[in-house]
Amino acid sequence: MLCLFKNVKWVVVLGLFVSSLLTINQANAEVAIVVHPSNGSNFNKSIIKKIFLGKSKSFSNGRAAILLSASPKEPVTEEFNKKVIGKSSNQVNAYWSKMIFTGKGTPPQEMASTDEIISAISANPDAIGYIDASAATGDVKVVATF
Amino acid sequence: MKILIIIFTSLLILSSLSAKAEIKFSGYGSIIAGKTLGTVDDPLNPGQKRDEILTADFYDVGQYTNDITFNAESIFALQAVMDLSADFKVTAQLVAKGVDDFEPEFDWYYLTYQASDNLTLMAGRRNIPMYYFSEFSEVGYAYPWMRPPSNLYWWQITQFNGFHAMYNFDWGDYSNTVTAFYGNEYSDDNVEMLYYDKLYGGTARTVNEIWTDIAGVNWNISGDNFDLRFVYFQNDRDRETIQQDGSIDPFTPFSQTFMGVGGSVDIQSFTILFDWNFVDYDDDRGTEFPTYLVSLVYNIGDYQPYIVYSKADHERTKVPTEDLEEHYIMGYGLRYNFLPNASFKIQYDHFVDQGHEPTGWAYHGDSDTIALGVDFVF
Repeated sequence: MLCLFKNVKWVVVLGLFVSSLLTINQANAEVAIVVHPSNGSNFNKSIIKKIFLGKSKSFSNGRAAILLSASPKEPVTEEFNKKVIGKSSNQVNAYWSKMIFTGKGTPPQEMASTDEIISAISANPDAIGYIDASAATGDVKVVATF
Repeated sequence: MKILIIIFTSLLILSSLSAKAEIKFSGYGSIIAGKTLGTVDDPLNPGQKRDEILTADFYDVGQYTNDITFNAESIFALQAVMDLSADFKVTAQLVAKGVDDFEPEFDWYYLTYQASDNLTLMAGRRNIPMYYFSEFSEVGYAYPWMRPPSNLYWWQITQFNGFHAMYNFDWGDYSNTVTAFYGNEYSDDNVEMLYYDKLYGGTARTVNEIWTDIAGVNWNISGDNFDLRFVYFQNDRDRETIQQDGSIDPFTPFSQTFMGVGGSVDIQSFTILFDWNFVDYDDDRGTEFPTYLVSLVYNIGDYQPYIVYSKADHERTKVPTEDLEEHYIMGYGLRYNFLPNASFKIQYDHFVDQGHEPTGWAYHGDSDTIALGVDFVF
């Protein structure tokens, strides 16, 4: 048993070491939550989190929310998951796999680029997404930044 | 596997032909190899040695022995969701398991009706929402371990045909889902029950396991850093053990109740997962199965080292005796999320059988098992 615990410790140490190598300091960009300019609903962190986890299906204006996410490769996705959802992207992906395959939820639609997110939201009054705050344009309304 | 490809291809062709049918495909799978590390005195044949055995999948009797196998718990599943209208959809899940020679079966097949923003109705074939991980116990990607501890997830029935009504509501800052469910399961040629018959020297042709009037409630409550789920259900139990000559063994039907609480709590970089359950039969022995698991996961970047302890006990309140089934598993492992949709896992399990050997209740036997593999979703 003692030997086992030693092994576990060793695995943790190795894990820490490898991940410290892999986690190169990325610039902590600000995340902007964006909706259609006509969407006058109430937003705060708790509401946004519930919407993006599929726990709230509608905005406070009563309309069903259409969720858009950036590609998992975009640094803004990890930032959004960490700051707004409060979990790592891995944990968020695991959550969605549970929801999808038990028929209890549909994850946000993954968009290829920030431009696509902006153009989709500017064309749809019920869409919501997140982008790097520096990329926001007048076509969308920023309702919160994190 | 061939059949799966044919079905997949035909579904693809169908979906491309019919522009109207909105069909979305997704899926999950696990490719896992493992083996037990030693031999043990055969608890059912004293004086004889046999390979250590770990049953990783009780329902389909997927087992590890000293020979490395990919078949005990490798799995591939394809899900198709067809939107019939804005409110109606059909979901089908075709599941192929190594232990079944990868013969695909529709393990999930149900209709969903979004009655309102808060109310979802489902009818058809789904997993019974028993334990916290029951509904997604085969989606390896959804949890840190190689599998939910198999000495708890040991039931011969895991699916049923029935109805679910799911109601979502907020309670302060907490999100709630209450699900009521009702259904039946007539499991002809039950793999696990036939395995037990053979294990104890039986020669039955087949065993049919029958669970009827499965009726219960789940209440799920989640907040910023926790997710909790309470479960209660009851059902009637019956069994037909059919011998070679066609005769059916006598069996006294009984009812069982199942209750439990499980969930997860995030504390900084740690996640605690737990599940406590209690099964109670109204048979003449007063059979009870108290079980629990507790696990600690450390989330560090793409790595998740973890430990998991699971304990199962068997008791009789009307004829008290300690000479029954009892066992625990201590598991140690690491999950490495090497892609956004795939993870590598390695797990070591130390199974200790504390059952009563003279009465045959120590039938699992001790085992040490190593398993490694990849879980993925698409």
